[in-house]
Amino acid sequence: MVSDRPVREAVNRLAGFNADRDRLLAEMERRVVGRHLAAAARGGDASLEYVLNDVCYSEIRRLEASGGKRTRELERWRELSGRLLHMSEEEKREELRRLVHHYGRDVVGNFDPRVFGFASEVLPPALGFLFSPVGSLREGVAALTRFEGQVRVDGELELARRLAERGTLVVTPTHSSNMDSVVIGYALIRAALPPVTYGAGKNLFTNPFISFFMRNLGAYRVDRRLRFELYKDVLKEYSTVLLENGYHSLFFPGGTRCRSNIVESHLKLGLLGTTVTAFKNNVAAGAPHRRLYVVPATINYRLTLEAATLIDDYLAETGRNRYIIIDDEFSRLGRIVEFVRKLLVHEGSLVIRFGRAFDPFGNDVDDDGESLDRAGRVVDPASYVRGADGVVDDEQRDAEYTRLLGRRLAESYPRETVFHSTQLAARSLYDRVTRNAGTRDIYRLLRAPAETMMVPVTDAVADLQALMTRIGAEPAFGRLHPQVAGQDAASVLDDAVHGLGTYHTHPIVERHGDRLVVGDLKLLFYYRNRTHHIPADARVATAVEAVA
Amino acid sequence: MTAASRADTVGIVGAGRFGTALASVVARAGRPVVLWSRDANVVASIQNERRSPRLPDAPLPPPLEATRDPRRLAASARLIVLAVASTDIRQRARELGEVIDGSHLVVHAIGAFAAPGEDRCSDVVAEATPALRIGALAGPALPLDMAAGQFASMVVASRFTEVTSEARRLLNAPPVLRVYGSGDLVGVELSAALAGAYSMALGMADVMGIGPGPRAVLVTRALAEASRLVHAAGGDPRSFAGLAGLGNMLVRTSPGSQARDYLLGNRLGKGERPAEGEWTEGARAAVAGARLARRLAVRMPLVAGMAAVLTGAMSPREAANLAADTVAAEE
Repeated sequence: MVSDRPVREAVNRLAGFNADRDRLLAEMERRVVGRHLAAAARGGDASLEYVLNDVCYSEIRRLEASGGKRTRELERWRELSGRLLHMSEEEKREELRRLVHHYGRDVVGNFDPRVFGFASEVLPPALGFLFSPVGSLREGVAALTRFEGQVRVDGELELARRLAERGTLVVTPTHSSNMDSVVIGYALIRAALPPVTYGAGKNLFTNPFISFFMRNLGAYRVDRRLRFELYKDVLKEYSTVLLENGYHSLFFPGGTRCRSNIVESHLKLGLLGTTVTAFKNNVAAGAPHRRLYVVPATINYRLTLEAATLIDDYLAETGRNRYIIIDDEFSRLGRIVEFVRKLLVHEGSLVIRFGRAFDPFGNDVDDDGESLDRAGRVVDPASYVRGADGVVDDEQRDAEYTRLLGRRLAESYPRETVFHSTQLAARSLYDRVTRNAGTRDIYRLLRAPAETMMVPVTDAVADLQALMTRIGAEPAFGRLHPQVAGQDAASVLDDAVHGLGTYHTHPIVERHGDRLVVGDLKLLFYYRNRTHHIPADARVATAVEAVA
Repeated sequence: MTAASRADTVGIVGAGRFGTALASVVARAGRPVVLWSRDANVVASIQNERRSPRLPDAPLPPPLEATRDPRRLAASARLIVLAVASTDIRQRARELGEVIDGSHLVVHAIGAFAAPGEDRCSDVVAEATPALRIGALAGPALPLDMAAGQFASMVVASRFTEVTSEARRLLNAPPVLRVYGSGDLVGVELSAALAGAYSMALGMADVMGIGPGPRAVLVTRALAEASRLVHAAGGDPRSFAGLAGLGNMLVRTSPGSQARDYLLGNRLGKGERPAEGEWTEGARAAVAGARLARRLAVRMPLVAGMAAVLTGAMSPREAANLAADTVAAEE
């Protein structure tokens, strides 16, 4: 169900961001510099010379690897590196301040309410256009007004809205496409939730059009090429300061886009850890009532734009020397153009689902935003950062809390996953192929004979029905898309075969009479992987063993 | 009590033999201890006579206070040691959960799985209380030795360094008790639980008259299969070779041992089949460990054999053959 509350009723703290920006940056600089100076005073590897040298070394390596186009910048870093040995402590301190200021300025975002207003008006119909069946210009225009049916936003929306008024939201979606940040931004508008700030890869800012919107809608720049500690400190502290000051934020805990399409379980906890730190700082500052809420979300595509590239990357990574990527006749640009063309003429759809929020320690929260322990008692979250005599700074403790939070998030994602017909049919067909070939090893399956890729339609329908029944009976597996839940298995299979057969460059599966023929096993594997957390049906496991 | 003394006070849940012995050691080191018992007689005896009917020889000097009020325990101490039987852990953790908050550090001293089932006790504490900073205390410290002031060592394990460091600070009482630290909570908990099962196996084997060679094989195979289970459960396989695993096993199977697990093993070896009500922590650990091993697909012939003997599915001789017939592969 979609809220009819206008977004302006939700608390849009980003609206005041520009006026606050310099103060936030100054606070970040004060903390990062102060921490490094204190650590340097203790000596050892934390000396300023070591910190500055780490920056110089990393920057020089990065620029040398970039092909020597930026020689002046490279020379500056070499010059600083050479000067380090002769600098006084005061000069090193000054250089540290300068660098922290420099990286802070590079990271910081912007928020323009006019751009936000424009995007709020334009984004929904634009996305609707993108995800609607468009056969002609007239249909395209009609699609602009029919977008709601193609994109669903559901889940614990009312709770998220209540929490946005009681504290700071940290939205943590799954990540499988470069379209995710646009999609989640749209979902927040549709759900009458406030906009969020988030760290986006600097590479996404190279396109001037995208960069304009991202920079003006609260995104800050994350340069993943900068791997030295000082830069990571700047990023984390900036995020911490934003959260402390009530700016709703978004992290993709999976890190980069999920290559396999398996629902993420191994989360990267770096920026997520700033949630605990920000709350601890709030408590230390005498404001334990300033709560933070971590809201899991899943982004569920019926068909994924970059599926072929992602699964190629995944198989190359997991298979190591067993699998070699063979490029086909399309260049990367050609593939993208082809995908977009297919997208515009094909029925796509997606569901963004918000789960119940957690506190920064992985506890559930009730409808009033109070933390609940595992037994359901209200618990004061500030007690987790207090020792016997008040708030205690303890990085190791906070890292463990973040690990607990990450575990709760990872547990919630399968539950909140929404299955489209494409993923369900892919699972059923893939299981049949494994039975035919007598192995579940994808690398062996890729070399399996063609006859193992044929599945009788009646078998596929029966398997699909069994899978849908299992998912319907077990909420921990996830949930069926409402359209799927309302159809019989044969109709769901038809819908899936249509999608899987026409969206990508090569048909993943096609129907030939009373048989289905798998044409692209890698992509079938990709779509099947969304159900990876659902254990194999005992019948399938037994049959595979028997053939093997 | 002031905030400062709350930081320096040890709270102990359960005035059984181990809880009382630990309270005695800590109190003798001059640190305040609050011991929570549900038994009015025990509380009265400690408060009025400075002795416990459960461990009469243990000195219980005044820094030790016994109480029936759990709120008194929670308000007085930040570090709380849960020293109850595995059959009571779920109920006592629930009661404790009503009075503590997230600032408490909870360490359990239960060398067993939480009965019934194969849950680790730290998971039960996490489910039943607001505490997240949780640890486990284990090792070859016998209550009578501790009460008599003899040398004993234990290990405290937690993923939170704060828990291990605070537990060590407050429980270390050399020369009587030395407490080591570990970050391997899973490994220490499983090792402590399985040590009871293997003590029972050795008790059974000894009464059946096995020689020193096969006995040594049994001990080393126990170490190998326990380490496999610890690893599969996400712990450090080396943990079983430490105080919680091997240490516990050796102390319970030493010559003249009166450890309950070992004695139960003796009875099994003589062909008796004790009713479930007579089972020890080690017996329950054998059955729970066998279930956990099946779930994690870990081969554990010794634990599986002991579980089969306890449930009557196998005779002691058949269980011994099962262990002996294990295919020898690379060690």
